[in-house]
Amino acid sequence: MKILNKNQLETILNKLAEEAEVFVPMSKGNSSGFYSWKTRNPETERLMLDALNVYLSPKNIGFPQTEKMYSIKQSGPDVEIKETFEDSDPRIIFGIRACDARAITCMDDVFLTRGYEDSFYKARRDNTTIIANACYNPGPNCFCAGMGIDPTEPNADIIIRDTGDTGYIWETKTTQGEQLSARIADLLEEKELKAPELKPFKTNVEYAGVAEKLKSMFEHPIWEELSQTCQNCGICTYVCPSCHCFDIQVKMWGDEGYRFRCWDSCMYTEYSAEAGGGNPRPTTKERFRNRFLHKLEFFTERYGYPLCTGCGRCIVACPTGINIVNIIDQVKEANVDV
Amino acid sequence: MKEISTKIKEIASRLLADGQVNVFLAWEKGPEDHLTHPLAARSAEDAQKIVFDEYSIHNLSNYLLKFRDGHEKIGLVVKGCDSRGIIRLLEDNQFTRDRLYIVGVCCPGMKDPLKAMKINSGLLQDIALDDKADKCSNCAYPNPVIYDELLGSEQQPHVSGERKAQVEEIENMSPDQRYGFFQETFSKCIRCYACRQACVACNCRTCIFDEMRPQWVGRENNETDNLMYHLVRAYHMAGRCVECGECERVCPVDIPLMLINSKLAKDVNEFFGPYEAGIKYEQDGKPALSVYSLEDSDEGFI
Ligand code: SF4
Ligand code: SF4
Ligand code: SF4
Ligand code: SF4
Ligand code: SF4
Repeated sequence: MKILNKNQLETILNKLAEEAEVFVPMSKGNSSGFYSWKTRNPETERLMLDALNVYLSPKNIGFPQTEKMYSIKQSGPDVEIKETFEDSDPRIIFGIRACDARAITCMDDVFLTRGYEDSFYKARRDNTTIIANACYNPGPNCFCAGMGIDPTEPNADIIIRDTGDTGYIWETKTTQGEQLSARIADLLEEKELKAPELKPFKTNVEYAGVAEKLKSMFEHPIWEELSQTCQNCGICTYVCPSCHCFDIQVKMWGDEGYRFRCWDSCMYTEYSAEAGGGNPRPTTKERFRNRFLHKLEFFTERYGYPLCTGCGRCIVACPTGINIVNIIDQVKEANVDV
Repeated sequence: MKEISTKIKEIASRLLADGQVNVFLAWEKGPEDHLTHPLAARSAEDAQKIVFDEYSIHNLSNYLLKFRDGHEKIGLVVKGCDSRGIIRLLEDNQFTRDRLYIVGVCCPGMKDPLKAMKINSGLLQDIALDDKADKCSNCAYPNPVIYDELLGSEQQPHVSGERKAQVEEIENMSPDQRYGFFQETFSKCIRCYACRQACVACNCRTCIFDEMRPQWVGRENNETDNLMYHLVRAYHMAGRCVECGECERVCPVDIPLMLINSKLAKDVNEFFGPYEAGIKYEQDGKPALSVYSLEDSDEGFI
């Protein structure tokens, strides 16, 4: 089997970075996220391949928080599109975990299937190669397995497996992966190493049946009750790797300007505000309900699997201790005859 | 704290059972030791879940905004900082005093459950849990300034002076250095607006950042719009922020919002004071910048 020797890691990242922007899990100040390998300051920033995961998800690589779409010029009633900003620069995501790789699958489904193709997303996605880092030691808030994901088999072009030894097993999965592996073939070794055993999960979730049960729970008192302490701050949706809502807005200076899109969140009042002044989700209850129904029911109905990947970030970041695992449990326990 | 916890439970059960309040806001324990989170108890039975411990850090006065439109009577527990939040709401006419039953607790300083959560998460490194949360190491009013019932023994202010020093450091920078500092600081902001949501002084029904027609502040996550967001937020806090520190605590990317809030409080005190927001409740009291006085300074501010 192919082995990536740990002491070759930096050489390989440097080599890959010659032809693409390589995003790696990295510490930054007292936070962490996926950042370009080239921008790393080795004195203050650490590559975090050996950590469980990073705090800020890699979502912004394929779906930037703010994205300029096209520039426009208006003359009377006519609008001319001057330039479209599709970004097809090659990029590599190195060291993503299975949960976050699943989140990319979610976004692929949303942005590329069912007759809708988002050309901006597609331009980036077609030029992105994913190298995932298999997980063997789930953290305290991880529950990917409960959401139907095998943390040791991430959906990726290449999988690396930390043997705990001197190297990573390097497993090529797709043609795109083969092209990349070929570029660094001389830096990989041929050796036999054993992947570790997956350690047990500390957080366990039984998702089976939840989507079906939620169908009859739209008006259930549980939403009022569970949402009481939610502050609608939106942190959960912004740290979530799979939340993908956006708003399209415009900036104009006189007759010229551009359209851009930016992340949005169903936790915000203005998200569901209507042009006529109404708002179908006027209070925390409706917005909170929407978040969980989208994650656990609507998405599953449309795509066959949930929009929560079990990464646990929202649990860590929620300032008021709202916990999606608890919500799933409460849904399962709820009496639907009320 | 056990004793205080038991007392709060008793008070809440009594108030709820007698119908003196419809809701009682306090805390309950989550599945782990470091997890304490807000609870809205609606019955004496719910009240049995109440705890008050070293992680009861959340400013519950913010939750009153959820109830402002009704007639329900609300009981709640406040520490020193949170009690100033109540004055904010009363002065801003968001609540009337007679709808509140306030249980004040003299606060020894809290630990931050959010930080504990982050430390345990495996997603961040090199962070440690302080004995006292940042906001509690810079707290001039640990004892409630408004209450119906007071628990615990009076505490001395816990002001480390660190924040003051940091503010001075920024004041002493050259304009270019300072601009650079703000640019860098705010470039990290992900514009989730959690700082606004957690803030008791952010009680406008339609926030300027949500206004769409016209849209006053752009939604792009870039230097201009981020700075604009923080500039507007800062001006709206001048003389109104009660320094509860919740904005900074909840910020998912650690923007040092309290530095800005402290500077605002300092300037308002210097130019329009002596004034400190939310430390004394008076009928028809108003924050310094909401009243006009001929003696007001023309210097420095704006
Ligand atoms: S949720 Fe699963 S895939 Fe994600 S970091 Fe935890 S164990 Fe790994
Ligand atoms: S992070 Fe928590 S408090 Fe904030 S919107 Fe999400 S669930 Fe509500
Ligand atoms: S909902 Fe929470 S646990 Fe699920 S994918 Fe999003 S952040 Fe992760
Ligand atoms: S909470 Fe932090 S990241 Fe969110 S808008 Fe406020 S300063 Fe920015
Ligand atoms: S600005 Fe921050 S410190 Fe001031 S009242 Fe609001 S949340 Fe509290």
